[in-house]
Amino acid sequence: MNPEPFLQLDRVIHEKGRLAIMSMLAASPELSFTELRDTLGMTDGNLTTHIRTLQEAGYLSVTKSFQNNRPLTTCALTAAGKRAFTHYINLLERIIRQNKPE
Amino acid sequence: MVKRPGRLLPGKKVLARWRFVLQSISMEPNWAAEHLQVIRTLMERSALYRRALAPIMIFNGVAGLAAAALGWGLKIGSPRAFIFYWAGVSAVALAGSFLLVRRQALKESEPFWSPPTRRVTQALLPPLAAGLMISAVALMRVGSASDNPGNLAGMLWLPLLWVVLYGCAFHAAGFFMPRGMKLFGWAFVLGGCVLFAVGVPAWVRPLDCAHGIMGFFFGGLHLAYGVYLYFTERRRNEP
Repeated sequence: MNPEPFLQLDRVIHEKGRLAIMSMLAASPELSFTELRDTLGMTDGNLTTHIRTLQEAGYLSVTKSFQNNRPLTTCALTAAGKRAFTHYINLLERIIRQNKPE
Repeated sequence: MVKRPGRLLPGKKVLARWRFVLQSISMEPNWAAEHLQVIRTLMERSALYRRALAPIMIFNGVAGLAAAALGWGLKIGSPRAFIFYWAGVSAVALAGSFLLVRRQALKESEPFWSPPTRRVTQALLPPLAAGLMISAVALMRVGSASDNPGNLAGMLWLPLLWVVLYGCAFHAAGFFMPRGMKLFGWAFVLGGCVLFAVGVPAWVRPLDCAHGIMGFFFGGLHLAYGVYLYFTERRRNEP
């Protein structure tokens, strides 16, 4: 089996929790912290950690604002995040093709 | 704590990469396909409108039934009064639904005008706008004399058209909402079309029939679906 696509898999995205965050943000221009937390069933701390990791990788931007005097945190994919996610999907498809019996 | 490859020593980094590759290869052969399936599901879920619909449906159902009973009781019989009356009712229903959605958004500390809300609104808009424009044209062309029952009898196509267009709107919005909404839309479309084809019995007075159609579809169906959702709808989308 050719290990090359495996070597190229982005480990920041490959983790289950971060992949879920990236997937949700890939389908929506932006999502609030609470939407992500409730949909993915994560704890505040867990989600914060994953968001920070993705932010450090430059894949995600976080905007903090106020709505009706209540803090509102929204997350969105950056251009680099979209590219990395597309690349990750392409690699998965390559792996699937590679595993298909002739 | 996430260990990132960049933080490791060069030798350990290579080993970690190969261990990662070996782990990945040794997993189920179809793990990549499963990963893609999970991604697809999450992407679909992200685009879905997730506000609780039960209170909105129940509110609209009660408003529709009460309005039909009131319209029948007040004997709103002229086509012009009928259109004005139900336009007012729909404005009240729309405002109530807006406030309910806004209250949910505030409660959850989420933006009201979220991307799923935008998508649902965009899907709802064309058929509802068509209904509004056709009603405006009908309003300009009908007389206001309430002593002409023939007018309302001839106008029965209008409530049926509202029903069908409303169904089309909800069917379109159903692509961005949980399952069931498209079926709800179909109930309106088919119900309206069947009534249009079959017609109403001669012994039913046009006034009763017009308000009855509005009450049954906009009141009864909403209320029934709202009660069903109340018992089945999960408050939030669970993963």
